[in-house]
Amino acid sequence: MKTKFIALAAGMLAATALASAPAQADVKIGLIGGVSGPIAAMAPAMIDAAQLAVQQVNEQGGIGDGENLVGVVGDSACNPQGGTDAATKAVNIEGVVGIVGPHCSGAVLAAAGSVTIPAGIALITPSGTSPEISGLEDKGTVFRTVPSDDYQGRALARTMKEMGYGKVAVAYLNNDYGTGLANAFKAEYADELGGEITQFAAHEEGKASYRSNLAELAKGGADTLVIFDYGDGTGLTILRQALENGFFDKFVGGDGMKSDAVINELGAENLANFVSSSPVGEQSESLDMFNEAFKGVGGDPDAIFANTSYDAAFVLALAIEKAGGNKADVAAAVVDVSNGEGEAIRPGEWKKAKELIAAGTAIDYKGAAGDHNFDEKGDVPGTYALFEVGSNGFEVITEMK
Amino acid sequence: MEFLGLVNYALFMGIFICIYALLALGLNIQWGFAGLFNAGIAGFFAVGAYTSAIVSTPPADGRLGGFDLHFVFGWIAAMLAAALVAWPIGKICLRFRSDYLAIASIGIAEIIRLVIKSEPVLTNGARGISSIPRPAGDLAYMESQIAYLIIVLAVLIAAYVLVERQFNAPWGRMMRAIRDNEDAAKAMGKDVEFRRLEAFIFGAALMGLGGALFAHFNRSITPEAIDPMVATFLIWIMLILGGSGNNRGAILGAAVVWIIWSVSEIATDRLPHEYAVQAKYIRLFLIGLMLQLVLRFRPEGLLPEPLRGDQRATKSGADPR
Repeated sequence: MKTKFIALAAGMLAATALASAPAQADVKIGLIGGVSGPIAAMAPAMIDAAQLAVQQVNEQGGIGDGENLVGVVGDSACNPQGGTDAATKAVNIEGVVGIVGPHCSGAVLAAAGSVTIPAGIALITPSGTSPEISGLEDKGTVFRTVPSDDYQGRALARTMKEMGYGKVAVAYLNNDYGTGLANAFKAEYADELGGEITQFAAHEEGKASYRSNLAELAKGGADTLVIFDYGDGTGLTILRQALENGFFDKFVGGDGMKSDAVINELGAENLANFVSSSPVGEQSESLDMFNEAFKGVGGDPDAIFANTSYDAAFVLALAIEKAGGNKADVAAAVVDVSNGEGEAIRPGEWKKAKELIAAGTAIDYKGAAGDHNFDEKGDVPGTYALFEVGSNGFEVITEMK
Repeated sequence: MEFLGLVNYALFMGIFICIYALLALGLNIQWGFAGLFNAGIAGFFAVGAYTSAIVSTPPADGRLGGFDLHFVFGWIAAMLAAALVAWPIGKICLRFRSDYLAIASIGIAEIIRLVIKSEPVLTNGARGISSIPRPAGDLAYMESQIAYLIIVLAVLIAAYVLVERQFNAPWGRMMRAIRDNEDAAKAMGKDVEFRRLEAFIFGAALMGLGGALFAHFNRSITPEAIDPMVATFLIWIMLILGGSGNNRGAILGAAVVWIIWSVSEIATDRLPHEYAVQAKYIRLFLIGLMLQLVLRFRPEGLLPEPLRGDQRATKSGADPR
């Protein structure tokens, strides 16, 4: 048996060596995602969306002198162990010039910290939302096409301040969603903008009554309650009991609170002073173009993170073209091709982009999930809006900046 | 692909093999020596990783520490913390027979994971801790990997020498006696409960060290790393395949399993493009199949435990590497 195992291992090594022997003129990018593991249900659509971008590039002239772009799929299993392993293989064995992924924040942090940052390879994650990713010392190589969790909380704080909200109390569900949003909100509203938060309290899920929590929250004399919770769960109970007892006049919710359950249970007439934030799939021309194309290859455009995955792959391809295939310049080129200045390029417009790049014209990618004007941390602003309850359900009041 | 790429990949595998070998050595003390079925490796791994991260990162807002100490202190603290956590757990759970201990230890690993995930004051919660310093991390990509490999290899060799010494010492014989016949050992006047606790704590300390080495290599640690698949069961497979009760077996098992785990992805990538996603599952299948085959044809593992009384077998036994 011993020898058999060694033979097996040796065979695999040999297969690897053989398989990678032929010298190809292909340009490779790594598509690393949580194929196995906790997000296994989401990953295939995300990878398919990225492959769609690769396919469009190849159909419209390829990279450089008609070289094929190839997406090499790697499995990060949604954990750091798998993330570093897949990234190491992509960078060293496949020789990729850039990576789309990994999908989970922990895998992104590990793969960036131990592989792509030291190797100087550009990495664009379509779904890693952890605020920690912003703080990486990444020499400008780590990007994302999805806004950080921090963003919504801060944007909500700014919008509320602008709209003239005064003293507020904050109630949040004690899990990563609730705490993440609440902390970001607090940091912006109280520390940055000088607003007053009278009470800031976590609550547990699934209790029958939150009256004592609400009484506590009302103590500081705030007239507005900000709720970071789910509108089809505990958040509904809190909102109902706060309305019944008249603890607060105005209510603000995070995206979890924008649920039809709230309107159905409490009635639109009682929710005149309730607003909630939520990401908006910006109804842009770009999004329609992506939806059309993705349906064309049998994909579901509503699949979560499909549009961000597509954008990540397309931006990376543009950057490779711009950098002339030079690995070291790809990261800098990512910012060049999507910084809000230049001729607009929409999803699938590879041929146009290629001609413009060849002519030396500045281009600006307008993605399916947003404009993706990367800031110095490699982050993108999200597109959120504030909603109020109207006669036909939730209606947009204002965009959140 | 270039030659340098292959070297880089080999270095990376070397580092991971050393880290996993440390975890497997820790498990070997618990299962191989003392017969304790610990299915909560991930828990001690996490305690070690987070302790070292907290000790060695620069001060941060909103969580414990960091204390900005040298990484060596972090690693020592990781071992101490894992040992400290193992003590009450062992005190309570080691009274259970083997399979009950397995259940209890799975539960404990899960408790540790949830505490880490939901206590931002302690561990920064779900966001995890990043910017952990990596020894020799300022060097270029390849040099930095070489330097780290040398460090983990040195740690592994030191751990191996110490554990091997213990294995051949009277302590090791006593542990095996307790494992194989508890009543007889008790009749000989051995304090069975205390000795088991000892083995449990030593093993946990090594696991904690493995976690610390992992966190420093990745420069980050998040709750996602405490995944039982890669932080508990993969290590069990390594030990069983390598040969429980044999320290070299534990290390060999770590090497063989990790190489197959990692290299098989490159092999399955040769399947047609349409199967790229499905192919990833072949790896999971391969590992499962391998365990089945080993258990069926070679239950004692690649390097079986040396025969009792024949200490030379460990020194001059067949070495397939």
